[in-house]
Amino acid sequence: MPSKERLEALAPWCVLESTTTDWTGTNAKHLGTLLTSMQIIRAFEEAVLELVGKGLVHGPAHSSIGQEGGAVGSILALRASDQINGSHRGHHHFLGKALHYLMPDGMDPANPINPDIQTLLTRTLAEIMGLAQGFCRGRGGSMHLRWDEAGVLGTNAIVGGGVPMAAGAAWAHRHAGTGDVAVTYFGDGAANIGSVLETMNLAAAWKLPLCFFIENNQYAVSTEISEVTAEPRLSSRGQAFGIPAWKVDGMDPLAVNLAMEEAVATMRRGDGPTIVEADVYRFFHQNGPLPGSAFGYRTREEEDAWRARDPINRVAQQMIDQGMIDQTGIETLNTAARDAMQEATEALVDSSGEKPAIREHLWPSADFRDAHIRGDLTEFEGVRYVEQEDYTGNLESRRFVDTVAEVMHRRMSQDDRIVVMGEDVHRLKGGTNGATRGLSEDFPDRCLGTPISENAFAGLGGGIAMDGRYRPVVEFMYPDFMWVAADQVFNQIAKARHMFGGDSAMPFVLRTKVAMGTGYGSQHSMDPAGLFATSPGWRIVAPSTPYDYVGLMNSALQCEDPVLVIEHTDLYNARFPSPTNDLDYFIPLGKAKVVRKGSAVTVISYLSMVERCCTAAEALGVDAEVIDMRSLDRAGIDWDTLGESIQRTNNVLIVEQGPLGTSWGGFLSDEIQRRFFDWLDQPIQRVLGGEASPSISKVLERAACADVEEVEEGLRNVMAAQGRPLPANAN
Amino acid sequence: MPISIEMTAATAGMESATLVRWLKAEGDSITEGDVIAEVETDKAIMELTAPAGGVLGRIDVPDGTDEVTVGRVIGWLLAPGEDASALPSTTANPPAAAAPAEPEPKPEPTPAEAAAAMPAAPAPSPAASAPQPASTSRPFASPLARRIAKERGIDLTTLTGSGPRGRVVRIDVEDLEGQAHLGQALPGQALLEHSGMRKTIARRLTESKQTIPHFYLTLDCAMEALLEVRSTLNARGEKAKQPYRLSVNDFLIKAVAIALQEQPAVNVSWQETGLLQYTHSDISVAVATEGGLITPVIRKAEEKTLVNMAAEVADLASRARAGQLPPSAYQGGGFTISNLGMYGIKEFSAIINPPQAAILAVGAVEQRPVVKEGELAVGQQLTLTLSADHRAIDGAVAAEFLACLRDLLENPLSVLV
Repeated sequence: MPSKERLEALAPWCVLESTTTDWTGTNAKHLGTLLTSMQIIRAFEEAVLELVGKGLVHGPAHSSIGQEGGAVGSILALRASDQINGSHRGHHHFLGKALHYLMPDGMDPANPINPDIQTLLTRTLAEIMGLAQGFCRGRGGSMHLRWDEAGVLGTNAIVGGGVPMAAGAAWAHRHAGTGDVAVTYFGDGAANIGSVLETMNLAAAWKLPLCFFIENNQYAVSTEISEVTAEPRLSSRGQAFGIPAWKVDGMDPLAVNLAMEEAVATMRRGDGPTIVEADVYRFFHQNGPLPGSAFGYRTREEEDAWRARDPINRVAQQMIDQGMIDQTGIETLNTAARDAMQEATEALVDSSGEKPAIREHLWPSADFRDAHIRGDLTEFEGVRYVEQEDYTGNLESRRFVDTVAEVMHRRMSQDDRIVVMGEDVHRLKGGTNGATRGLSEDFPDRCLGTPISENAFAGLGGGIAMDGRYRPVVEFMYPDFMWVAADQVFNQIAKARHMFGGDSAMPFVLRTKVAMGTGYGSQHSMDPAGLFATSPGWRIVAPSTPYDYVGLMNSALQCEDPVLVIEHTDLYNARFPSPTNDLDYFIPLGKAKVVRKGSAVTVISYLSMVERCCTAAEALGVDAEVIDMRSLDRAGIDWDTLGESIQRTNNVLIVEQGPLGTSWGGFLSDEIQRRFFDWLDQPIQRVLGGEASPSISKVLERAACADVEEVEEGLRNVMAAQGRPLPANAN
Repeated sequence: MPISIEMTAATAGMESATLVRWLKAEGDSITEGDVIAEVETDKAIMELTAPAGGVLGRIDVPDGTDEVTVGRVIGWLLAPGEDASALPSTTANPPAAAAPAEPEPKPEPTPAEAAAAMPAAPAPSPAASAPQPASTSRPFASPLARRIAKERGIDLTTLTGSGPRGRVVRIDVEDLEGQAHLGQALPGQALLEHSGMRKTIARRLTESKQTIPHFYLTLDCAMEALLEVRSTLNARGEKAKQPYRLSVNDFLIKAVAIALQEQPAVNVSWQETGLLQYTHSDISVAVATEGGLITPVIRKAEEKTLVNMAAEVADLASRARAGQLPPSAYQGGGFTISNLGMYGIKEFSAIINPPQAAILAVGAVEQRPVVKEGELAVGQQLTLTLSADHRAIDGAVAAEFLACLRDLLENPLSVLV
């Protein structure tokens, strides 16, 4: 018989319940604030449902009626400079934090509404209805509520999607040493998604002051929690990651408040993240004004039992019992809250006609559609742009990758805001390729090796960027890993500025390397340019020389938008004339470079294919103009340079190394034909790899990628189609 | 109801022609079958006859219009009692609308059918078998070419495109631009407009050289015996009731005709569907004319006597130089002889005339040093160079043919039997 020893998890896990003495020991002001805040939120949610019933809310409105105790009970344990974010069901988080921000000294049930609160309610309602005066100018709606000033980082429509971003805010708090904390609210449905679990691990590993607040309302839409997990006590997740956890009755706002006080104290002490699980219940269905029982997934009896434990009544009754308020006082509060919502509704809705309608002038202008996808680049005013031809510093022959590490070292030594993170970036003498060499030695607290959790650490970087105090440089060891981080990369980081109304910056740099040619096969060989170019918000640079790398990396770090910096393993160990004593110049985003003049065809390429294009043109003696695009995103296409060339050569060949499906040239050729149709003497031609992702087999990998030979073939085709075929023996 | 007069196809596959001049004026009375206009195809000038009788009501396409599409209405005949008001407006008849409809696609023959059909199949006319751009209702042109054409008022339908599928590209409109500014040529330059024939030669020979894998075989023939026989025969020919005079070329045509019968593997044409085998020796003879090269055909040359053939060659050559060969006279040969001997050319390599598979380039008969049985001597020598399509003819086959031909020429009596 083997012997066994029972193991205990490292982190404490408890159920916390309030006692009579807790209630009697809580002063009237605190309970009054709990009551008033919850009642205002309840009145707000009822007004929203009424507007939903009248067809005046476009899209879903996930009501929090019944769940107010969890949000308000926890938020009252926070201070103004603490931050929260939340889920698609987030009205109560948003209002709870906003009310607490406006009324830090508490609220009075006898006089619950003041002009600031009235404005808050009207603007929040306007946002939910998609109107211009909303907190996100009507872009965000019900599920994307952000008020940075009040510490609401933004609620989120992707289940678990906001959690890594909150970890970024927590990282910034910890690194700044302010003692502030972040709280991320999510439901039982999010407790099993990767973003949340990855972030729990990362936050615990890095001791981030982040509270994972689980509002366990028992149902993910209609799916009961016990159907989808063998451990429905969701605070148990802390045991896996070493995170202390509290389980509490969310219908008891005081118990929530007490648990949260303990959690906040833990975080402010620097002991890392916490989990608070509050059992709550939404009285209505997932969204809309009908109860869940109407959809058959739960019973009226169950709903009645939970309604009997309404958190507002619980506090009100306690206050009445203790003589802190009477029934008239309760009525006064309810009436005031309802009147405030009536006023807010009337400000937005014209009820004079046959049917109530949104006041026409309140809609955002349709031409606001694409505004704020990106910043305006005013952050570049006054920077020093120097092209290699005009560079007066020293150029020495160096390996490309050495310059990659050197420019980052230079920037980090000049700018304390920069923080580098990624897998193994802090070890192996600069990560797997040497691109971060020297950083962890000189900046140990700003060069961070991450767990293999791209979604979590990308999102954490996004949270840092959105916070604004620091500038993350995140590395994906291979671009293909963006697929596992796709939610954070494309749904969160790319969209944040636009979706939240345009006021928030996202100064996020993502570095990665194309590794076609290294034999890493189907899942490590993509070129991410084409995919990122489909994503509004991202800027993309792809330097083909160390000189351009320095200028473009400086621009990427200066930029207030997310910038993908694409590197290539083929370039890393190649030697180039590289700048050594001046690493502070910039190269503009959105500026292409003509690297070979010609008149017969405009060859458009980037990264390692630029040199191959020149080689092929020389070999065949084709008078090709080769343009190194350098910036690849839609806003970064240098139409001045391209247009001048295309109108002169009348023929276009777009050259890429990688496969067809995720290729970059498709969108570009579409744009070119629409802008320059009348100047084209033939369809836009392209050089690409095959359809499949490159395989590990050396022969198959070569066949899957374009190289000089394929560029030559492309040049032959493009010349033949303009009636000027090259002689067969050219070359 | 007025009857339209359309540009008609002189040969299968002919797409357009130049309307050289009208022989009738508006208002002239016309009987069905009257010659009413002269039309120049890429090979010859032909006469256009009236499809019906009546009065020439209106001429839509004036004299000297190039590339008039087959099927395009060029004028109108009025029936008795009708006047010009009965005519449709000219805008109702855009050239594109009058273009012939695309023919129904024919099913591909099965290999067995194709093989069975081969021996009996008539020799295809060059026009029918040469690849032609598909008949379309509008010309394909690149956006740039279209813009330039529009700016400069160029009619795209008049152009032959250099791009894929015959697409008109910049180079085509710019070439035309050069022609349009003929009067502006730089001092010392003159830009001469291409004739239809010139364009056809350029197109077909370019296509031949680009698509046919040529190979070349050269050998010398001793011509003393043939010259002697020729001399004897011509001496008799002067005094004959029907005088004749035979050229070396006549012997050559006859010898080639016989050699083709003995080596039928050379009397072929490469087709995508199979190898076309000719029964007779139909020999195209290259004739230089002012407008360019043309190749009238001596049909069934293997069956003709030298004297008859000599007369036929002379007749065809003179009609060719006058531009009066009907298409039937120059279409359908199986093998071409090109002789530049009269210019003193020693030897040359010719470009195959598609869809044929071989062409013989003939130099001058001249005195050259020869080695006979170890002794240096003076001989009458002729150098022949055969260009062959390697897709259809292998080197050894072509060499056998050429050896056979030399044997015939060096033993000229065998040509006479």
